[in-house]
Amino acid sequence: MQRRSLLKLGLVSGAVLALAGGAAVLLRPGLEQGRLSASARGLFASLGRAILQGTLPVDAQARSRALAGMVERIDVLTANLPPAVQAELSQLLGLLCTTPGRLGLAGLAPAWADASEAQVQAALEGMRFSSLALRQQAYQALHEIVGGAYMSDESSWAALGYPGPLPL
Amino acid sequence: MSQFPDPIRAGLQRGWKVLGGVHGALPAKITCDVAIVGSGAGAGITAELLTQAGLAVVIVEEGPLKSSSDFHQHESEAYPSLYQESASRKTEDKAISILQGRCVGGSTTVNWTSSFRTPESTLRFWQERLGLKDYHREALAPYFDQAERRLHIAPWLTEPNENNALLHRGAQKLGISASVIARNVKGCWNLGSCGMGCPTNAKQSMLVTTIPAALDHGATLLVETRAEQFVLDGGKAQALRCVAVRPNSAPVAPGQIATTIVAKHFVLAGGAINSPAVLLRSKAPDPHALLGARTFLHPVVMSAAVLEQRVEGWAGAPQSIYTDHFMDTQPIDGPMGFKLEAPPLHPVIMATTMPGYGQPHADMLAKFPHTHVLLALLRDGFHPQAPGGQVKLRSDGSAVLDYPLTDFVMEGARRALLAMAEIQFASGAREVLPVHERSHPYTSWDAARSAIAALPMKPLLTKVVSAHVMGGCAMAATEAQGVVRADGGHWQIENLSVHDGSLFPTSVGANPQLSIYGIANRLAQGLAQRLTGRAVVLG
Repeated sequence: MQRRSLLKLGLVSGAVLALAGGAAVLLRPGLEQGRLSASARGLFASLGRAILQGTLPVDAQARSRALAGMVERIDVLTANLPPAVQAELSQLLGLLCTTPGRLGLAGLAPAWADASEAQVQAALEGMRFSSLALRQQAYQALHEIVGGAYMSDESSWAALGYPGPLPL
Repeated sequence: MSQFPDPIRAGLQRGWKVLGGVHGALPAKITCDVAIVGSGAGAGITAELLTQAGLAVVIVEEGPLKSSSDFHQHESEAYPSLYQESASRKTEDKAISILQGRCVGGSTTVNWTSSFRTPESTLRFWQERLGLKDYHREALAPYFDQAERRLHIAPWLTEPNENNALLHRGAQKLGISASVIARNVKGCWNLGSCGMGCPTNAKQSMLVTTIPAALDHGATLLVETRAEQFVLDGGKAQALRCVAVRPNSAPVAPGQIATTIVAKHFVLAGGAINSPAVLLRSKAPDPHALLGARTFLHPVVMSAAVLEQRVEGWAGAPQSIYTDHFMDTQPIDGPMGFKLEAPPLHPVIMATTMPGYGQPHADMLAKFPHTHVLLALLRDGFHPQAPGGQVKLRSDGSAVLDYPLTDFVMEGARRALLAMAEIQFASGAREVLPVHERSHPYTSWDAARSAIAALPMKPLLTKVVSAHVMGGCAMAATEAQGVVRADGGHWQIENLSVHDGSLFPTSVGANPQLSIYGIANRLAQGLAQRLTGRAVVLG
């Protein structure tokens, strides 16, 4: 049944990302002790470049800094998720960081680090409109995590024209 | 340091009994008259009334105790600390995102203050179809009156922000009546940051009203403590086992019970989804397979418009104007009706809600100051094809809601997208984007109308969210129809009551906080009378 998904792989889709302390829960391979594995960090940097293309700073150094900040915030988010959601996210990220998972789930041939923005966007488009609920769920989760983490910090608000809260 | 007095920190200094987390270790056993699970709308009202009746009350809250000094109007702080699952709670198939509080005060600490009495059409359905004879307007009126006085609920008479004014103007152009929403605020600063915890304590949430009143009356509050399961024996709840949890809800010591509460009576008010989950973990009797069933969400779809003028949807009171035109003009048990409101807009919500990626997504984000959003709350639970969802337990005992978005529900969603786009163009929108993966910004009502008519209204393509979780422990006139009786008492467990939104046998058809306050007020007054023989009144 489609909506139950083929694999029993649920996904977090963080409407939110954030900054709070977190628990250490042993998970592999996408998350290690609740934190992003090195390969998951690379995955999100690649996704961030593609999803936020047009929103990220134009200057190369500033763009790198912005992406690094986003990855740090995703790392804090994952630590703050409940264990069942961490386990789901860990499975998804772990899978996407393997070659068969990247090909099967994302439909992306080159490694995340080597893929161009256009290649990653094409992979995202395939997931977004896939007939498999699992691939759609993966797209939604990655889209929300990346967008939410990026915009959760005031360093990104200029792109929105958002002045920040009224000082009290 | 905030210039505003913090009533919670002041109470702690006065010697309130608060344990758990940084407030101190839990004793292995606690004995009291009544233990209340949760600290939100139903729990807060119940705690105030029962302590007023002289009962020794213990309140058990899974989330942390945060207060105005902690509320800095930042989504990055508020979502992980104040919301269930870091505000990323989802239905089982991930097609609906659910915003629900998880902190002292529950969802009342983070809601957008909209206050409606239970609509008469909903009450009539409960009376006529479900036999809940006492749930009529006149019988409930005094309880709503008291709750409204206690929580300073009154129509918002300040000029609406532009996001809400647009709803009013668009509706007026089309001859649709739109009205002012009542809000539970006292001395509101009109900041628009309600969803991140009120930094000025103007919002009259349970955090600053009933919970402090209960603590002043000697109640004990356990925070960062999860009600794991009841010990059931002989048709009674003998005790409640609780675990200490970390900020992310993981147990501090897996498998270990932090405290066992022995009480004469237990009140379950942890909110829909979590309340039925406690009973599921407790293996509570459920002879008619009703526990956790018929859980409702008011599934929400959204429409984003871009205006010539600045809208600044982050500023000013959220949700101050509404229209019930699309509920009142059709039968309650026919095609789904919906209520329209205008929500607050902030960066994380904006970035995650707007569909797509790359340049088209960047272009939408760049128009944020000019963006106006309407949302439609679909009234579920009144038609056989809108039966809501089922709460289940994951293998680790945590709760998850399976909520199938039926074609019937999604047909209502399509009509809602049409209605919102038409209103937005009438209010002067230059472009309108129905929030859906297959849609684009449309520049005329004609273009939007034909595009929306052709959209595939499927889960995971249509963006669907919810902030109103109801049902799962339905009250009913007969044992075969419900989990609890009309007075909130569990049909099979003698000393257990349910006093929260999980009681509702359908959705409310309006933002539910005042329905919960009013009905919990009546149930808690009845419970106080039964337990003590004393009459107490809220206020």
